[in-house]
Amino acid sequence: MTLRVSRRNFVAGGATLLSLSALGTSALAEETRLRLLWWGSQPRADRTNKVSELYKTKNAGTAITGEFLGWADYWPRLATQVAGRNAPDIIQMDYRYIVEYARRGALAPLESYMPSKLQLDDFDPAQIEGGKVDGHLYGVSLGANSAATVLNTVAFKEAGIDMPTQKTTWEEFGKIGAEMTKAGKRKGYFGFADGSGVEPALENYLRQRGKALYTADSKIAFGPEEATEWFDMWAKFREAGACVTPDIQALYKDTIDTSPLTVGKAACDYAHSNQFVGYQAMVKDKLALTNYMRITPDSKGGHYRKPSMFFSVSAQSKVMDQAVDYVNFFVKNPDAAVILDVERGIPESKAMRDVVATKLDETGKVPLAYVAGLGDLAGPLPPPPPTGAGEGTLILRNIAEQVAFGQISPSDGGKQLVDGITQVLARG
Amino acid sequence: MSNAMRTPAGAINVERYQGAVAEGRFRRLWNANAPGYLFLLPWLIGFFGLTLGPALISLYLSFTDFDMLQSPRWVGAANYVRIATADPKFSAAMHVTLTYVVFSVPFKLTFALLVAMALNRGLRGLPIYRAIFYLPSLLGGSVAIAVLWRQLFASDGLVNAALSHFGIEGPSWISHPSYSIYTLVALSVWQFGSPMIIFLAGLRQIPQDMYEAASLDGASKFRQFYKITLPLLTPVIFFNAVVQTIEAFKAFTPAFIISGGTGGPINSTLFYTLYLYQEAFGNFRMGYASALAWILVVIIAIFTAFSFLSSRYWVHYDD
Repeated sequence: MTLRVSRRNFVAGGATLLSLSALGTSALAEETRLRLLWWGSQPRADRTNKVSELYKTKNAGTAITGEFLGWADYWPRLATQVAGRNAPDIIQMDYRYIVEYARRGALAPLESYMPSKLQLDDFDPAQIEGGKVDGHLYGVSLGANSAATVLNTVAFKEAGIDMPTQKTTWEEFGKIGAEMTKAGKRKGYFGFADGSGVEPALENYLRQRGKALYTADSKIAFGPEEATEWFDMWAKFREAGACVTPDIQALYKDTIDTSPLTVGKAACDYAHSNQFVGYQAMVKDKLALTNYMRITPDSKGGHYRKPSMFFSVSAQSKVMDQAVDYVNFFVKNPDAAVILDVERGIPESKAMRDVVATKLDETGKVPLAYVAGLGDLAGPLPPPPPTGAGEGTLILRNIAEQVAFGQISPSDGGKQLVDGITQVLARG
Repeated sequence: MSNAMRTPAGAINVERYQGAVAEGRFRRLWNANAPGYLFLLPWLIGFFGLTLGPALISLYLSFTDFDMLQSPRWVGAANYVRIATADPKFSAAMHVTLTYVVFSVPFKLTFALLVAMALNRGLRGLPIYRAIFYLPSLLGGSVAIAVLWRQLFASDGLVNAALSHFGIEGPSWISHPSYSIYTLVALSVWQFGSPMIIFLAGLRQIPQDMYEAASLDGASKFRQFYKITLPLLTPVIFFNAVVQTIEAFKAFTPAFIISGGTGGPINSTLFYTLYLYQEAFGNFRMGYASALAWILVVIIAIFTAFSFLSSRYWVHYDD
């Protein structure tokens, strides 16, 4: 069957279409519609929406639709929207996924907007670098943070044990943990969470040894020896009762509310500094931040200032100029900075940092002081994780659990981890 | 041509009759059935647009490498080859799912039948009991129930609190790789409502005089169950078994919620559909996930076909 359209029908249809499109343009002329998507909790949404309101008051005729989801639901939603050619104009992007999205052509390169529309002149150059993939800028960092150990100060005080400091080594940390467990001031309470499957913790350990998780050309950057030593160390902690049992650790789902520290099972856990505000909101006891432990008293460079989140602009966006303008407003407007606080990390712009610093409450000051005070513990920013790195995280967790539950030995674990990640990276 | 048209062949000229029919057939059929099709339209749109269409697209995608951001790239049977030869997670997921099917379906059906028989005794307030027992099935797929289950079976959950009264120190059921799958089996058995309702209807169909005759002959309750109830119920058992097996293969929500989407600890709750979901949306492998989906279709088809083939040896219909 063929579709036949008579000339009269064609003309009539065309006229209808024309009048429809006229309607469309007149509606567009009145309003620019920006769509925004980010992950996070309600407090983050409140802050973001407030900034959008502020932007609207200064840019008449702009409508902004903001949408947010939890981390786990966010990525499927974003991938589906991008695949359906329905991507939001402004996308909150993570360091882990930026390579994936940029290389697949989903994000717009932004360097041509600098410095006219995008004024990142007082950003730390290293942090601008963090938003680049293959030499193009695909993301504007919304804040810096670093991996950190969260400590329950009250539990340490109760047990009469000194908290770990910037100088503490993993070995000493193991002893502290075992003492804490032995003190038994709280029921079923352990020294620290089991960090063997926590990727940033392993990364920190590798970096102190001069290695890394991944190389710049998307290969694995450590060998089975390092991984084995890592699993070995945790096996000893487990044996000494310094860290929680594997079945407790298995309940941790990478969210603050399921952390062994939050649910009252351990005095220390591993997180990122921008999560401190969230942890403190959920735990009654006063918390503190310190670095990840040192391998030896003089080892350094494990940490880095990580761009915690980016704003990227969709390559499909039809209002790209306006989207870039919004992003610039988000990171450079002083009123916006006050609203956003350090909830997404420490602002990258020096001017905004100064604005925020004067307004911070006690809890907000902790991550700021922590990131500023890393000293020799901080090293350079590693290259963004390659395609397939997300799966690498799951492999680490899986193998760490197998070792913890005693199904395989630490040395088998080390070998399987390196094999598994190598295969995933090869698959892309 | 159909038999209906051949029947009057002796009386009238077949050729002319058929010509006339062919001319007006479509119009007449349409006139007679148009309202029916009109009423069916929403379903038809749904079926073709939301079921058959996407299914065919997924069949196409299963032969491609599609990351959802770029156009699909034809790779032939590579996805299927990889599933068959080089994917340890596929076998892990298959193992978990088969364990779940093998344990949950028989337990659930047995439990449903027992409760249905208890309810069939003509209790007072039967509708209320029916509703109460059916409730878990209604809520079953929901996130709230999976979260509740997590609370119940955590190491400091209610189940262990109850056990501790008897001096038993229970493990953390949901986070120990040796037990986690069985807590999900228990969750599934608890959602016995819909097969129970169907059993109840089946039990009502069994004529009471058969039992009366049997008890006059001195048959014990157990013998009555074995010789009357079970054989007469086999069509219902068959129906429930097929439906529940398919449901069990497709189970997703409880594992997703309870393991936080990871299928952990150590892949012990990595249901097939969860793995499929991880590949599609977590790792951007929509093509591979489509291939996994079609393998699942084939497996379910094989199981169902096997059930139907075996049914002729054990399902008794009234005759």
